[in-house]
Amino acid sequence: MIEVIVNGIRTEVSSEMNVKEMIKELKYKQKGFALALNGTFVAVSTYETTIIHDNDSLEILAPVQGG
Amino acid sequence: MTKLIEQSGDTWEIGGKTLNSRLLIGSALYPSPANMEDAIKVSGAQIVTVALRRQAAGEGTGDNFWNIIKSLGIEVLPNTAGSHSAKEAITTAHMAREVFGTNWIKLEVIGDQYNLQPDPFETVKAAEVLIKEGFEVFPYTTDDLVVAKRLADVGCKIIMPWGSMIGSGKGLMNPDNLTAIRKQFPELKLIVDAGIGKPSHATQVMELGYDGVLLNSAIALAQDPVKMARAFKYAIEAGRFGYESGTMQQREFASPSTPTVGTPFWHQFK
Repeated sequence: MIEVIVNGIRTEVSSEMNVKEMIKELKYKQKGFALALNGTFVAVSTYETTIIHDNDSLEILAPVQGG
Repeated sequence: MTKLIEQSGDTWEIGGKTLNSRLLIGSALYPSPANMEDAIKVSGAQIVTVALRRQAAGEGTGDNFWNIIKSLGIEVLPNTAGSHSAKEAITTAHMAREVFGTNWIKLEVIGDQYNLQPDPFETVKAAEVLIKEGFEVFPYTTDDLVVAKRLADVGCKIIMPWGSMIGSGKGLMNPDNLTAIRKQFPELKLIVDAGIGKPSHATQVMELGYDGVLLNSAIALAQDPVKMARAFKYAIEAGRFGYESGTMQQREFASPSTPTVGTPFWHQFK
């Protein structure tokens, strides 16, 4: 098991894995959001080649109302 | 469903688009999604601001909102609200570009949590990076002329000084500063963003020669947001036409508008 921080909450996941696998493990839908890893944007096109490690921090953001 | 109301015939260009409305409207704080949709339609606005926030696993609440916005068929302007550094704002802009499918970004880097005053140093830094990356940057700034100069220096074609604090509804704190920016940068698109409370404030912005007005709370927090949206539409059109028409010179004396020749009862009792 490793720990990652998802939207500010420390969360246990099974192992290191790529972003696409992590989204599935965390039970996120497959689209409609954008993701940043340790403060840097990760494009959808690189989800499968970007590996998430222990203590990494993820921000998963979706559209909301704004001014 | 409220029908779209007629446009004035006035057109302008911003970010490579030709638009009829000079109102940029926010999508937050409305009593309901349906009310937001109606208010946006009635306002005639062709640019709507949106944002990104953390999504919980399995949550699809953003979908409904985003579907409504998409169905409006108008331009979407994502913001970087909540950013406190250039790095956070740049990352948010990258994320917004992917989610919303636009290179437009309302750049907002907050420097003070109490009055939500933008951080000019971080805003300029972020603007420089984002412009090099191909973004059309709409920077939210104060009414400081030198900051506007710095933003223009790094390539901003649009500058959005505040009227007063976000959500305050106080109107224009420093119309003279706004006028100075307008005079200094006739070629830039200038939009007053934040602080507008009443339709007359928006008219005043347009009478200063600004290209547009961005507002949210003044409509969304009105007793009747849909009616207020209509009021702002007309207020902005009135201000723009007033500016284009050229206002009369003020005079220090009274001057009758009705002809004095043929005035009845003139000297009747002498």
